[in-house]
Amino acid sequence: MSARDVIVGRSRAAALFATVAAYCVPLGFILAPLALFLTYSFFSVDHGNIVFSPTIANYVRFFTDPVFQPIFWRTCLLCLSVAVLCVLFAYPVALFLTGLKGRWRHVVLVLLLVPLLMSYVIKIYAVRSILGGNGLLNRTLLALGIIHEPSMLFVFNLNAVLLTLTVLLIPFAILPIFLSLETIPKALRHASADLGASDLQTFLRVVLPLSLPGVASAMSFVFVLAIGDFLTPQMVGGQSGFTFGRIIYSQFGTAFNWPFGAALSVILAATVICAIALGSLAERRRTAR
Amino acid sequence: MKSTISTPAAMHHARTVGKTHAGSALLVAITALVFVLLYGPLLVPISSSFFTVSHGSVDWSQPTASAYVALTQNDSVLAALRTTLIVGLSAVILSVAIATGLALYGCSPEAKGQRFLQFVIFLPFLMPPIITGLALLIFFREINFERSILTVIIGHTVFVLALVYRTILVRLQSLSGSLVEASYDLGASRWQTFRLVLLPNLAGAMAGGAILAFALSFDETMITLLVTGTDSTLPVRLWAMMRLGFTPDINALVTLILLFTTVLCLLAVRFVAPVKAASGGNE
Repeated sequence: MSARDVIVGRSRAAALFATVAAYCVPLGFILAPLALFLTYSFFSVDHGNIVFSPTIANYVRFFTDPVFQPIFWRTCLLCLSVAVLCVLFAYPVALFLTGLKGRWRHVVLVLLLVPLLMSYVIKIYAVRSILGGNGLLNRTLLALGIIHEPSMLFVFNLNAVLLTLTVLLIPFAILPIFLSLETIPKALRHASADLGASDLQTFLRVVLPLSLPGVASAMSFVFVLAIGDFLTPQMVGGQSGFTFGRIIYSQFGTAFNWPFGAALSVILAATVICAIALGSLAERRRTAR
Repeated sequence: MKSTISTPAAMHHARTVGKTHAGSALLVAITALVFVLLYGPLLVPISSSFFTVSHGSVDWSQPTASAYVALTQNDSVLAALRTTLIVGLSAVILSVAIATGLALYGCSPEAKGQRFLQFVIFLPFLMPPIITGLALLIFFREINFERSILTVIIGHTVFVLALVYRTILVRLQSLSGSLVEASYDLGASRWQTFRLVLLPNLAGAMAGGAILAFALSFDETMITLLVTGTDSTLPVRLWAMMRLGFTPDINALVTLILLFTTVLCLLAVRFVAPVKAASGGNE
């Protein structure tokens, strides 16, 4: 028996009413817009007017046009790099966190998660102020004499997008890795040490393999957030840092081709679903073991 | 402490502890670096908000609060702040009400297609916001719903619903069924049971969900950018300002927002953390 029996002894009509009421918001304001969006991807545009007759031309265009696919794959590669970088930073932090106890652990965890609720736009802006041509990073490098003129390597290009996204998304990678490290029984580590393994051996052959599902879900998490992002590439990407998200957005702005934009979004959604599926597959393999 | 142990295994363990120093120093160093990466960039706008900027570089010679004073006279910022608060509060009220209803329905025996319903509720949370935003944009256009503050409120409600729903559902499922049974046995009506038994028990989760929802709404940019009419919320206003460059009024505004969100975040931790601390604390 649980709280689920709150609503007992109700008439059929009331039950029907409850069902209709419960479904109206999710169906009306979530599923309907998304379904309409999907439908739009099969329309086309003629002289600025949307033609409402079904066609797969938008998808054909994506797969045949020499412009869009390279940007798509480049964006995927970029987001994969972001995911790898985030994990490289997040793993040691998560490992450090598991070694902490009591109050400290709580404080450090909260401090690592506070940036998640901080304004996304502000974080991009803050990172940009460091990466800019006249930014802190360039000025520091100049002052240290490492470079002699401001480096343009990370100013308004894909590198800037890569660095900014990495900084913004690290906290998202820490949490899943931390949670998976937490589930490894201490006894396993002790057993490994008792059998004569060094700490490094214990880490490489016991802890690391067991935490890989966490790494996989961290990577899929970061990848999904990075590939769906439009704000970061728009703010720090400049002219050359064109990503898939920016292409989609431009279809609704300057290019004014909503159906094509919708088709590109469907491809984005499919990519996101694949990434989530891969992530949870790795998670499930662990529980099956 | 380690000197008193005598079993071979424990001694071996004690020996390996010495070797971990290099490893743990590395962990501390990387953790410190991550903290610098997460918080360091924020110090730039915060510290430069107290100084004037000329020709793109900060004049560090004289601290001033003029940027903050200027903000109080910046009508577009004040209007954006008002819009943000209206949108945030409306989205909180709507999402908490809808989420509570959905959670109660989900826990009732008559619930149909619960998994499907949950899946739909979580879609805007799983999908990139650009997709949710564009879908709503097309939807509003198709049903001839003029873009305004109302469309922004709907967009935010849809976006935050999943998290609020989850928070309330988890609490509801953890409540013992005997509570409700006892209430009925004592002759309470369904409404009385809800108001006097369930609601007080759900209040914490609802408050936590409300704070989370407000924090999310306060920060939401992408969906707002797409579905807003002429009103802009604070992040959208900031977004427009930031494209122009690095100025003291942006920095002052950024500082105030950071201050506010940090307080909000600590509040959220207080309300949501008991659950987290309980599950994370026992090793």
